[in-house]
Formats: sequence, C-alpha cells, structure tokens
Amino acid sequence: MVVMGVAAQKQLHLEKHVLEGFGSKSMELKWVSRRISKSSQLEKTMKPLSPLFPIYISTDPRHVDPHRLRDLFADCNYSTQKIPTRAEPEPVDIHKLRIALSHSAVVVSVFCNLRHVNDVVPYHGNSSSSLIEDFLTPVSPSRDQLVGFGRAISDCGLTASIYDVMVIPSLQRMGIGKMIVKKITRVLTNRDIYDISALCSENERLFFKACGFGNDSLASTTMMYRRSDPSVTQEGE
Amino acid sequence: MLTLNLSAISSSFSVVPYANYPLSIQTQLLFRSNLNYSFATTATRKFKSFQLKAGFWESIKSGLMKNNSMQVIDPPLDEEDEEPLPQEFVLVEKTEPDGTIEQIIFSSGGDIDVYDLQALCDKVGWPRRPLSKLAAALKNSYIVASLHSIRKSPGSEGNEQKRLIGMARATSDHAFNATIWDVLVDPSYQGQGLGKALIEKLIRALLQRDIGNITLFADSQVVEFYRNLGFEADPEGIKGMFWYPNH
Repeated sequence: MVVMGVAAQKQLHLEKHVLEGFGSKSMELKWVSRRISKSSQLEKTMKPLSPLFPIYISTDPRHVDPHRLRDLFADCNYSTQKIPTRAEPEPVDIHKLRIALSHSAVVVSVFCNLRHVNDVVPYHGNSSSSLIEDFLTPVSPSRDQLVGFGRAISDCGLTASIYDVMVIPSLQRMGIGKMIVKKITRVLTNRDIYDISALCSENERLFFKACGFGNDSLASTTMMYRRSDPSVTQEGE
Repeated sequence: MLTLNLSAISSSFSVVPYANYPLSIQTQLLFRSNLNYSFATTATRKFKSFQLKAGFWESIKSGLMKNNSMQVIDPPLDEEDEEPLPQEFVLVEKTEPDGTIEQIIFSSGGDIDVYDLQALCDKVGWPRRPLSKLAAALKNSYIVASLHSIRKSPGSEGNEQKRLIGMARATSDHAFNATIWDVLVDPSYQGQGLGKALIEKLIRALLQRDIGNITLFADSQVVEFYRNLGFEADPEGIKGMFWYPNH
C-alpha cells in the first residue's frame, strides 16, 4: 500500500515535467536510440533512423531495490572490490549494499521497459504504434527493469567521488552512461561541490574522459591500500 | 521495492528501512488519534520490545531452518552502532626540562574547531577554503582523526593549553569504499611519526568496518610516505580522474 502511494506520486511528478536538482527527488524521461555501430555482433539493420524508446532516469534512492541492483552488478560483471582478488567477482552483499546506498550522497538509477532491453532488431512498420505505447505506459520503477546505475559519495562540502557507474551490456554505447554521469555531476554542482573525482580502471578511462573528466591538474597520484596478503608477493612499483 | 519473501510477522515492520523514521515515532502516529499520550507511550514501549523480540526469534528461526528466503529485518538504525566508536587516548607524553608535561592526544571523535583547522592549513601552506564548506565537510566525513597537543605547566593552576596539531579525515559510504582526504600535521611536530600514527589508526578503523577500498590522492612528495604505510600507486591500472567542466 505504501508502494502504490509512491508510484502514484511519481506519476504526478512526471506529468508536471519534473524539476531536477536542488534535492528534489524526481524522475526524468529521456529518449534514446540504438546507434549503428560499425563492428557489431548483433544483427542491427542499416536503417539510419532507429526508433527511439524511453528510459527513465531517477535521482531518488528509494527507487533502487538492492536485489535488482545486485543483479545489475552481476550482469555488468562489476565488482565492489576495486582491486580484484579473485578472477570472478563474488556476489554483492545485500546488507552492505543497503548501507552503501543509504550513505551515498547521490544515487542515480535508470529504468527501461523490458521489451526494449531485449530488443535486438528495431521495428519497422510498428514503430509508430510502439511509440504511442511508450507515451501511454506509466512510469513504474517497480515494473520496469533497472538498467543503469551510478552513485557518488560526498562530504557535502568540499569533495565527492563517483563510484559504480554501470549500464547493462545490451543497452551500452547509447549514451546512457554519459547521461548518468552528467546527472550526478549536475546534482553535485547544484550543491556547490566542484571537486569531483572518479576511480576508474583502464577500460573506463576513455568513458570518463568523454564525460569531461581528466587527470588531476595538480598531478596527484592515486593510491589504494593493499591488504598484505602473504600468498601474493608485493610488487615494487 | 522491498523483498517479496517477507514472512507475515516481519511484514508489519516492513515500512521501516526506507521510511527511515525511528520506530517509536511511527507507532505514535499510529496511536495518536484515539489514545491519550500516556497510553500511547506505554504502547510504543511494548511495541518496541515486541518488535525486538520478534527480530531475535526470527533470526534464530531462520538460522535453524536454514531457509534463506526469510528476510530478517534488523531493528532500526539507532540500535546499531553505525558510526565507529570515537576513541581518544594519549599517544605520546613528554616531560620537558622545566617540568611542563606535553601530551599528544589522538581523537577520532571529530571534535575540531573549524578556525583551528583553518589556522593549521595556513601553517602547512594550503590554499584557503570557505569555512562553511570546511565545517560541512568535517560534519559529513565518516571518520575525522585529530591530534591535539595539551601542555600542562607544573604550576598548581593547571591551565592547559590545547592546540590542534594534526588531522586526517575519510569519507565513506560505510560499506565498500573510503577516501582519505586532508592529511596534515603541524610543521613543528613533523618527523615524529605522528602522521604515520594518524593514518594507521584511520586505516585500522576502516578495516574493522570491513571497508575494502581505501583510496587517497597523494602529492608527489608524499607518495613514498604512503607507500611505506601499505598503499600502492595506480594498482591494477586504477586511476583517479577529476571533473573539469570546460574541458
């Protein structure tokens, strides 16, 4: 009964063409389309205008269900441990995830209707009717699938760090990740925090560069604490 | 939102995790309309103890039955000690030739005066930052470790002189990641192992909470200092990037 109340409230927000920032918990509707990638393993047709479909981007941490988030971590093959100790990342601890979510200053989640997630070949003749369907289908974080996520930890004064930005593989390379990062930075700058950092691995570096991140202007070195593991020999540099 | 496999008993408490209200307030709202205040408080007390008992038996039951589908909802967060217990102890004690005793006190309680901190930052030569932001940052940091020096003159007055001589703070999501910022020690107290002690205590407190990823951004002249404390530069190719709006 509480859940239904929240969903109805969110619908109202959407009809009002939501405001963002300033701490208002809101959901925003965005349209994305699949781009034609040059080297794609999936059979994408060569139609230049791929149909748009809607995704919902939310800054409300209450929309995130820890269990679905854990599944998202698994789908994206993402681990909460930055320095991998094992070949396969272990499943995320739900209790810890809940704690982490409740103490993250910014939590951004992206939802999408299930049929678009698995949609490989874009519709042709049915494009107009599916668009209308998309317009009429109400927002529902409980019904739609969690497809993207990002969060930031901050001291709400000077600094912030972005962690765990991920989008499920079938919807990658469509600008969703960039949207998530942009949303996070926008919320942070609205709170007057401009010192935003992001820890990224080798393959994420290009992504963050495209989002407007760069190496530290003060040339600081990123260092992480390495728990002394007697079985592993300590490397020099 | 909440997991669907809650048993009937614990579902009555299911509103708690996301509502984030202490349970006593919730039950008062429930009872306020028809009962007078004294009755409501006894009702809340009974309700609260009942809820705790339910949680206890739930956890025993779920352990015995090895049925992991039963979700045990922990009592609200004011029962858990989420924040690390603040420590305060004497790190070093020195007696000077004229009899004054100087103690260096380590504290992780975060009780720092912003003006003292500003003065200390000036001493080490850091750029000035707005005081309100500093205060907010201190308040919202997970752990703020500080070193104060207390000098007691041998006279019977016992006037103590307390000065802030070092600080380190860490922000965290309380579960997975932590970043250490703003490590500084008064130049006249440097070279005594105080910075090392600060960081070591900080790391120990974080590891006790099972926070696996501890990061920091080190200036070139202190990279070696942190390396000796167990930090590794750019491990596995992980680097920190910073946001520049007009790239």
